Order: sequence, then structure tokens, then C-alpha cells
Amino acid sequence: MYKYKVGARRVRRCEKGVMRRARRIFGAMAATLLIAGCNRHQSALAPFGAEAEQVRHLTLVLVVGSVVILVALAGLWVAAVRAPEGRLSHKGGMRLVLVLGALVPTLVLFALLLYALPMMRPRPVSRADLRITVTGEQFWWRVAYQPAGTPPVTAANEVRIPVGRTVAFQLKASDVIHSFWIPGLAGKMDMIPGRTNELVVRADVPGRYRGACTEFCGLSHARMALDVVAMEPAAFDRWLALQRRPAAPAPARGQALFAENGCAGCHTVRGTGALGTIGPDLTHFGSRLRVAAGTLPMETEAIARFIRKPDDAKPGARMPAFPHLPPDDARQIATYLQGLQ
Amino acid sequence: MKRGLRDRVRALRVTLWTLIIPPTLWAAHFLFSYLWAAVRCAKLGSFADSPAAFAIGTVLALVLIALAGILAHIQSRIPGDPPPHESGTDVDRVRFLAKATLLLSGLSFAGVVFTAMPVLFLQDCR
Amino acid sequence: MTADAQNDPAVRRAQEERLRAVWEAPKGWFFRWTDCNNNRVGNWYVLTAFAFMLFAGVLALIMRTQLAAPENDLVSASTFNQLFTLHGSMMMFLFAVPMFEAVSIILLPSLLGARDLPFPRLSAFGYWSFLIGGVFVAGSIFFNAAPDGGWFMYPPLTTRKDLSGLGADIWMLGLSFIEVSSVAAAVELIVGVLKCRPPGMRLNLMPLYAWYILVVAVMILFAFPPLIAGDVLFEMERLLDWPFFDAARGGDPLLWQHLFWIFGHPEVYIIFLPSIALFAMLVPTFARRHLLGYPWIVLAAVGTAFLSFGLWVHHMFATGLPKISLAFFSAASQAVVIPTGVQIFCFLATLWAGRVVWSTPLLYATGSLAIFVIGGLTGVMVAVVPFDWQAHDTYFVVAHLHYVLIGGTLLPLFAGLYYYWPLVTGKKLSDRLGRTAFWIMFVGANLTFFPMHFSGLMGMPRRVFTYPAELGIGGLNLASTAGAYLFAAGVALVVIDLALSPTRPKARRNPWEAGTLEWLTLPNSENWGTRSIPLIESRYPIWDQPGFVRNVDEGRYFLPDAEEGRRETIVTTVLDARPLQVVRLGTPSVKPMLTAVALGGVFILTTYHLYWLALLSGLATLALVLAWLWTGTAEIPEKPCKPIGHGLELPLYLSGPSSSGWWAMFITMMADATAFSGLVFGYYFYWTVHPAFPPSGAGLDGPGIAWPMVALGLTLASWAATVAAREVHARGRVALARMLLVAAPLASLGGLAAGLAGPWSTGLDPTLHVYPAIVWTLAIWTTAHNGIGAIMQVYTLARSLAGRMTPTHDADLRNITVFQHFLALTAIVTYLTIGWFPEVA
Repeated sequence: MYKYKVGARRVRRCEKGVMRRARRIFGAMAATLLIAGCNRHQSALAPFGAEAEQVRHLTLVLVVGSVVILVALAGLWVAAVRAPEGRLSHKGGMRLVLVLGALVPTLVLFALLLYALPMMRPRPVSRADLRITVTGEQFWWRVAYQPAGTPPVTAANEVRIPVGRTVAFQLKASDVIHSFWIPGLAGKMDMIPGRTNELVVRADVPGRYRGACTEFCGLSHARMALDVVAMEPAAFDRWLALQRRPAAPAPARGQALFAENGCAGCHTVRGTGALGTIGPDLTHFGSRLRVAAGTLPMETEAIARFIRKPDDAKPGARMPAFPHLPPDDARQIATYLQGLQ
Repeated sequence: MKRGLRDRVRALRVTLWTLIIPPTLWAAHFLFSYLWAAVRCAKLGSFADSPAAFAIGTVLALVLIALAGILAHIQSRIPGDPPPHESGTDVDRVRFLAKATLLLSGLSFAGVVFTAMPVLFLQDCR
Repeated sequence: MTADAQNDPAVRRAQEERLRAVWEAPKGWFFRWTDCNNNRVGNWYVLTAFAFMLFAGVLALIMRTQLAAPENDLVSASTFNQLFTLHGSMMMFLFAVPMFEAVSIILLPSLLGARDLPFPRLSAFGYWSFLIGGVFVAGSIFFNAAPDGGWFMYPPLTTRKDLSGLGADIWMLGLSFIEVSSVAAAVELIVGVLKCRPPGMRLNLMPLYAWYILVVAVMILFAFPPLIAGDVLFEMERLLDWPFFDAARGGDPLLWQHLFWIFGHPEVYIIFLPSIALFAMLVPTFARRHLLGYPWIVLAAVGTAFLSFGLWVHHMFATGLPKISLAFFSAASQAVVIPTGVQIFCFLATLWAGRVVWSTPLLYATGSLAIFVIGGLTGVMVAVVPFDWQAHDTYFVVAHLHYVLIGGTLLPLFAGLYYYWPLVTGKKLSDRLGRTAFWIMFVGANLTFFPMHFSGLMGMPRRVFTYPAELGIGGLNLASTAGAYLFAAGVALVVIDLALSPTRPKARRNPWEAGTLEWLTLPNSENWGTRSIPLIESRYPIWDQPGFVRNVDEGRYFLPDAEEGRRETIVTTVLDARPLQVVRLGTPSVKPMLTAVALGGVFILTTYHLYWLALLSGLATLALVLAWLWTGTAEIPEKPCKPIGHGLELPLYLSGPSSSGWWAMFITMMADATAFSGLVFGYYFYWTVHPAFPPSGAGLDGPGIAWPMVALGLTLASWAATVAAREVHARGRVALARMLLVAAPLASLGGLAAGLAGPWSTGLDPTLHVYPAIVWTLAIWTTAHNGIGAIMQVYTLARSLAGRMTPTHDADLRNITVFQHFLALTAIVTYLTIGWFPEVA
């Protein structure tokens, strides 16, 4: 498993500590902040984008309000059960229902509505802003970067965005419904066959993050993740220029095996004869953080195993299995792919 | 004159059907709002060019609900049996239905106001 | 018969003997299952729904075990998907809704002082349909063929045959069958509440449980049919390849989501309101006073019912609809909280004003309200659109919905179980076991679901069979799993308590000293329900009406006897419960069971594509229904009237709007019209999503305007002939009425042919594009109703010829006229839509 800067051990230690504390103050929403310290790459509680930051603030307001209401209601209930008969007259009871049961909730909810409605306005987007088309497929992501005025750049299973700039994701689906969720960046948006949905975001903090498919999409729904890298704008522009180039020539045996086994039927490696478009574009495969939509580490063994038996890692994956491929050949192909920087 | 009007209101028939008039008005207004925005967005790409239709619909719904509420209020005070008005008499049955209608008018009124709010904050079809 | 006559114990004993003989349950290993008495059928219903709940709970435990640790491999992805699909589907369709109907079938007659519900055989039919459909759906998991697309079954994942197997058909057809039985139960309950109340129980004296049931049953009537319409489109796509949800051919997966959630959101309130209804019964009992704010509770029930139909898009906030549309639904989602708050404060004020007697049921009620309020507060949170964009389809929502359903359905049902167990068995459950179980479940539920709020916001999507360790949510999930086992232990303790019940002694009558009518029931209850049908003058007659219990027991109220050896109860007016009629009720019969088997055959055989056998089964269903109606309904009594005591004499036969049969037809047709409007919504929905609709191209030419107008004319002619037949028949001109009843089905069948001729003659190919598919669907729906209408007209003609219908006994003719009114409306909408709309669009 690919490890983020937050080491696995630290995650585990932190988790234990939190659970101990959370149990002690069970029910106290203060745990929110503590737990937010655990996982900083795929969490709505650890935002790196403006949209998610706004929702985190909204969440705090809602949680505090809810706790106040819950405590008040519990107190009233206890008082009601303990009160001797007739402490509250019929008239007083009806006033209680009218004021606390009807009027106060109406006003509080109305205020909440007015507070939340403006937050629904999406960020304005102009013609000059970067557009990234992401298409959900069972069980991976097809990505096409479309900077204004230049031809698109195709990639897969990883999204890189410049910080401080508005980015408009155009979200589509080719087979079934998926949903595009990068919790640290913004809320989710569904990808629906036949429709194009737009999600406009702005990342603020550079770093490596993770997203996931949140609409149940079949057997490997749980294994449909997405690496996200927020970069400084200049670094991003350099990176995109590199992605635009075809693959460097690699006179390795792996490339021949790749061709012999018909991989090109589904995959594109620009600059070679491989032009298939059914599966992910592999032109700069080696530059990505992980393999098979955030499921496997970028390691030769893992890639080779995936080529021979994709179902082991991703049940129901559309990629055909190559169980008869000698393991060494699979490793050769893997090495070739890793070389596609 | 005024008294005559009140008596005529009190003589109106109250049934289960009149009970659901205010929430039905809310439902009609809600459906109208949703369809107005959805159809205009789907077919024209914008909905807020002529908010007059929406404003008229909303005011109409509010007025009708308020009217239903006022009628129900008058009916819920028909004199007759003693409080707490929980017995099985004609008057208490009418008073009960009228009271429930009045309360539903209040809820429906708030519901229509809630439904109208989004149009003040959102003006495009994104 | 006068009240004085009841002073003689010998007279009373003789009456009791006769009642006992009339209401005796059938015996024998097979025939005991043909019973239709509400007590028996209600008990079977409750036990079956409870068993399905335990089964679905075990499925949940397997899931929680799989998720206890990251990257666990206890079950495969395929099994896991079947587990969560079946868990959700069963808890909703086989537990929550049937359970409320079952409890109501048991309680309602005694709450209303009626001997039984108006259509006992319909209850039996509903039960057998439920059992067959439920076993069919639940059993599929043992053959690894269970549905695996989630309980919401979103296409295209579920409609593409390469991505989903038989399970999708099992879900669609098996649960459609159960939806039919739910609608049948709703009809029964609405007519029961409106027409079978005891004399004097005006609307303002009705027990609040009955108010809630009325509201909920009406909600079922409007919520389930859109799902049935969706099911029709869904199966047309799966079985016939009509592309309703296939974007490549003009379909749209979102239409399913609309239809599903128009059902799905009211569904939440359909299963929540009956639980609140139980609170409304037990809170006054334990506060020892009338419930405060009776009209407020009615406001809350009716208001929630309406508002809940304006929330469906609240499940579709992330589908990319225009923000303005989302905002309308967000506003309604906030508004629906108001009536819920009102109900809670009514209970609170009642407890405050009363003298609280602490008890196990009240403990359950308090605990479930606490859990429900947490779920309600997170519900307000997810109603705020930007927050929902984060929380939607994550474990946060799993936490929210389980708080709502455990606090709003499961624990209230346990409160009801502890409260009403003495009513059903005459015995109390153990307070000690009950309270221990409560605390175990309370802690278990919170330990299971509270951490899920965090795992959700920390990036855990729903419906994942595993999750990577790097998310750092292993500890939270382990806590959830531990909590799930704790909760299961609590449920097991309740089951043990129930199992020990037969060993315990009988409790006294009305052990909680409640004030409402149902507590007249004796510990050794008789099948006949109430001894005599009382005159009601208060909301809490046992508390307020002096000598009430004795008067009922000694048969001093109405209908204390069964002189003619018939099962009878009183029908009253809707508003003021003035007595109208003594209605003869259905007796045990094998027909409801056989009808359920035959109708089940239609759905189950279609699942396996055995179309000819399914057709045979359909014909068998029709034959059985006709036989059932012919022998069991609208029977002309041996005398016009009978005395019911106190000098009152009531007719034995009614027809038209004051009869219960007319209401049943009217209510059924409301449901039918709602399903139809779901299909019409589909047509106009496609119009909005396509720039050009109808599209142009080969095989896409609409049905034209000529044939649709001919079909409309013939259908209206059939309607007019039926209405005319009713009028002349009532004036005694039987021969003319019969002639009209010959002409009417001919016109109706002509309408059928012309309706289909339109799309047929222009060669509309329904597999090509969604436009032909939806046109064909509307045409088939309407013409199928033409066919059913014709069968009804011929049936009525046959009744007249057989002497089973006369000008003074014309219920059949009046009931089929109601059907014709709705058919005329359906035809007008259909033919204007498919024939005329393309001309103007």
C-alpha cells in the first residue's frame, strides 16, 4: 500500500488515542477536531480547498447548534417526567407547544435556511479557467485536461490541479453512475451516463490527497479511488507540458510483450502503436502515484500480478485476465510501464 | 353586517376535505415552483428572466392560505359547549376541525415562505 | 331487544354462545390457515415481519464483521453487495411497512370498537402475498442470486444485463408483488378508520393512533404507486429492452431516481409516523391524563404527510440538478422538521402536566426519542445542501438513517411490544429483562452508529465491501462492529423474554389502567372482538364514561348478538360516526390464499421468463378474483333491515358513496391514478431532457392524432354508457340498463383496439428510442384498463342477469362507475399526451 507522509504507524497510534478519548467523552462533538488529525488526505474535516473549507465551517455551526438543542430537549424531558401532577396547566402546556414546539423551531430553521442558501452558489467560472473532464468507468477514471485554447491532454486515475486557480471539472460516465468525491477539496458530484455535471473548485493547500467513488457502481466500487495532487501553479504548468509529450522510446522487451499480448487493443501509449481507448491511457503511467485507480502501489510485482489476475485486486474489473502469461513476462511489461515517465 | 358575515362563515361546512385545503395549496405552490424552475432551466437555460410569474404565484398561495386560516379561525371560535372542547358534540367537532385547519394554515404559510426563499438567493440554472 | 333484556344472564349467555359459534376459527391442519379474523391474521403478519427483521439483522451482523478491520476478506465483494441490498430492502419492504400494517390490523378493530376490519379476506390475501413475496426475495440469498444493486436499484447498473443478473428481477417483481399487498392493506385501513368507527366516535374523538394510520395509509396510496410505475418501466427495460434508462437511446437514469425517491422519502415518514402513533397511545396512559394538544397532533400528522412529498430530491442533491431545484427541496426539508417538533412537545407537555408512572414501555419511548432526535438533528444537517454534498453516500448518512430508523421505528415498536403484549396474549412481559435489553440496545445502537458520523466525514463511502488501512478509520469501524453485536444481544434478550411468555401467568385486564377503547380486551379474549359496540362520548371512554366497561361487557350497547349467524359490524358516517348500516363480513375462505398464490405465480414465473405459465397464472388470478367477488360481495340480504338495540334499526345493504365497498374502489383508483401519473411524469420528463421531443427518424413517428382520438371517443362512450346504465337502472329500467351494459364493454374493447392501433399503424419501435417506448407504455396502460373495465361491465351484466343485482341493490354497478370515471380521466390524459401534445410541442 502506498504510504503518505503520515506514516501508517502514526495513523494507528493516533487512532487508538482518539478512540480512547472518544470513548471517554462519548457523545461530545469535540472529538471532531481530534479525529481530523488522523487522516489528512481524504477527509471532509481536513480541507485543502475553498469549497471544503466553507463546508467544514458550516459543519461546526450545525454541530454546535445540534448539541445545544439536544441538551436542552433532554433537560426539558427530565424535568417533565419529574414534575408533579398539575405543575403545568392545560393553558401553559399549550403555550409550551406553541412557542417551543412550533414558533422557535420555525424561526431557527428559517435562519438556517437564509444562512445556508448563499453557500449553494457555485464559484464563478470563466472561459480562461482550466477545465478537466473526468469520466467514470467501471472501475477507473478517464481524465482529460483542457487548458483554454490548447488541445486536451489525456491521462487516467489521477488528478493534478494548480492551487489558487479556479478549476472546473466536467463529470461524465460511460457505463453506470459513479460519483466524484475529493472530500478535502469539495463536496461530491455524480457522474451520470448521458449527462455532464460541472463541479467548480479551488484548491488552496498543495499536497497529495485522495478521492473516491461514492455512488455504488458494482463489484469493485470499494476499489475505485483517485489520487489528487494539488501543485503550485508553475509546477503544474511544467507537469502538464510534460504530460502533453508522447512517451519516450523504450527499446525494452516489455514493449514488445505489451504489443504481442494485445494490450494495445485497449490502452494508448502515445508515440507507439498502442491506440486503444477502452482502458486507461498509459502514456505517462510511470509518473503516477498508484496503479489501478488508487488500489495498488506503483511496484513491479503488484503491477505484474494485476496484469495476470486483475480480479484478485479488483473483482469485476473489465480488464481481461492473462493467467497464462509467464510471471516473468508480466514483470517485463510492468517494468516497461513503470519506465513510461 | 360584520356579524352577519361571521355567522355565514361559521355556517360553512367543515369536512376532511376542507382540512387539507391549506397543505394542498402549499403542495400546489411547491410543485409550481419546482416545475417552473426545472422546465425553464431545461428548455431555456434560465429561469429568472421573469420572476413576476413566481411572485404572483407565491402571493396568491399566501393569500389563499391566509384566507383559509382566517375562516378556520372564525369557525374555531363558534360558541357553544364549555372548554376544553373535547366532547362529542357538533360544535366541538367543528371547532376541532377548524382548529386543525387553522394550524395547518400556519404550517403551510411557513412552508410557502420557506419555498420562496431560494429565488432570492439563486438566479441562474447552474 | 332493549337494554333491560340484557339484565338476564341467560340471555347474555345465549348471545355469547351465538357470537362464539359465528366467530369460531376454522380448525384442521390446513383449514386453520384459511382464517381471516383480524387477530389471527394480524398475529401471523407480526410474527412473519419480525422473523424477516431478525433475518435482515443477521445479514447486517455479517456485514459489520466484514468491516471490523480494513482489507478484511470474510465475504467476497459479490456476497457483500447482496448482503447490503437485501438488508436494506428487507428492513424497508418486509419489516417496517408490513409491521405497521400488521400491528394496525391487530389494533384497529379493538381501538374502534369494531368486530373486525371491513374486508377481512383482503387482510388474509395481503398476508399471503406478503409471505410468498417475502420468502421469494429473502430466500434468493441462499442461491447466491439475491439482488445486488443496492436497495435503491439505480439503473443502468441494474438494468444492464451484463452487469446484473436475476437478482434485479427478483427485487423488482418480488417487491412489486409486496407493494400490491401494501396498497391492499392501505385500502383496508383507510376504509376501516373512516367507515367502521363506533357510533358517536366523531373525528375529534378518534384515538390518535387511528388518525396516524389514516394519514399513513393515505401516504402509502400516493407514495407506493410511483414506485410501481418505476418498476413497470424498469422491467420493460430488462425484459423487453425498452430503453427508459439507457442514455444511448434517449433514456435517462435520473427518471428512475425521481420515481424511486417520490416513493422513498415519504416511505421514511410512512414507517416513522405509526411509531409516533404508538407514543400517542402510551404517553397519556403513563401520564394519567388526556394528551395535550390533540389538534396539534393532527396538524403534525397531516402536515408531515404533505411536506414529506416535497423532499424527494433531497436524495439527489449530488446529481447535478440546477441549484435552484435543490434549494426548493432543501427548504421543504427544513420545513418538515416543524411538525415533528410539535409532536415531541405535545408529548413533553403531556408528561409535564400529568402524573408520570414510570414503566418499561415509557423507558423505551424515552430512549427511542433520544435516539430519534439525534437522527433528526443530523437530518437537518443533511437537508442543508452544501453539507449534504460532503455527507451524501458516506457513512455519515448510514449513521443518520439508522438513528432515525432505530429511534423512529425499531425501539418504538419494542415500546409498543411491551405495552400491547398484554392486549394480545393477556400476559405481561418481564420488566427486568425488558429494561436490561433496553439498556443493552441503547448503548449498542449508539456505539454502532455514533462513530459512523466520523468515519463518513473521514472519507468512508457507503456500500464498500472493504476500506484501506490508510484512511485511519479501522478503530471507528471496530467500535461500530462491537456495537452491532451488543445491539444484537439486546434484541436476543427481547426474543428470550417473548419465548418465556407462555410460562407466565395471565395479567389482569387493562394492566396499565389506560383509558382507550382497545383495553376492553379480556386476558382470555374471544374472536368476536368487542362484546357490544359502544356509544362513544369521550376520547378516553374507559376513564370518562361511567359504567362503560360493564355496559360493554353486558352487551348493553349495540349489536350484542348474532341472531342470523353472520359475522357483522357497524358502518358509520365519516365525520360524525352516525350509524348507517350493519355490514356482513367475510368468513374464513381458501380463496384469498389461492388468489395470493396465483398472483404470486404471475410475478415469480415472469422472473424466470416463463411467460406462458405466467399468463396461465394470471388467468387463474382473474378467475379466482371473480369467484371471490361473485360469492363474497354485494350479497342481497334476506331482509332489508335489522335492529341493533336501543330501538335503532339499520339497513343491511348500502350502495354508493356511503358504503364501504364504494370507498374501497375509490381509494384503489386513487392509487391507480397516482401510478399512471408517474408514467405521465416520465413522458414530460423526457420532453424536458431532450431538445427535440418527439424526435424524428425512422420508426420514431408518433401515433398520429386520428387513432388516439378514436380511442378516446370510444372510451368516453363506454364511460357514458356505464353512467347511463347506473342512472336508468336506479329508476327501475333494468332492460335498458342491461342493453347499455352490453354496449359499454363493446365500446371499451373498441377503445382498446384503437388505442393500440395508433402506435402500431405508424410502426413505432419501442426498442429504438425512449419516445416510442414511453408512448407504447402509456397506450398499453390505458388499453389494459379498457380491458379490465370491459370485464367489470360484463361481470355487472352477469350479476344483473343472475338476479344478484337489482335496482335497490346496485352496489356493483355503482362501484364500476367509479372505475369508469378514473378510466375516462386516464384516457383523456393519455390520448391528449400521445396524440395531441406532439402537434403543439
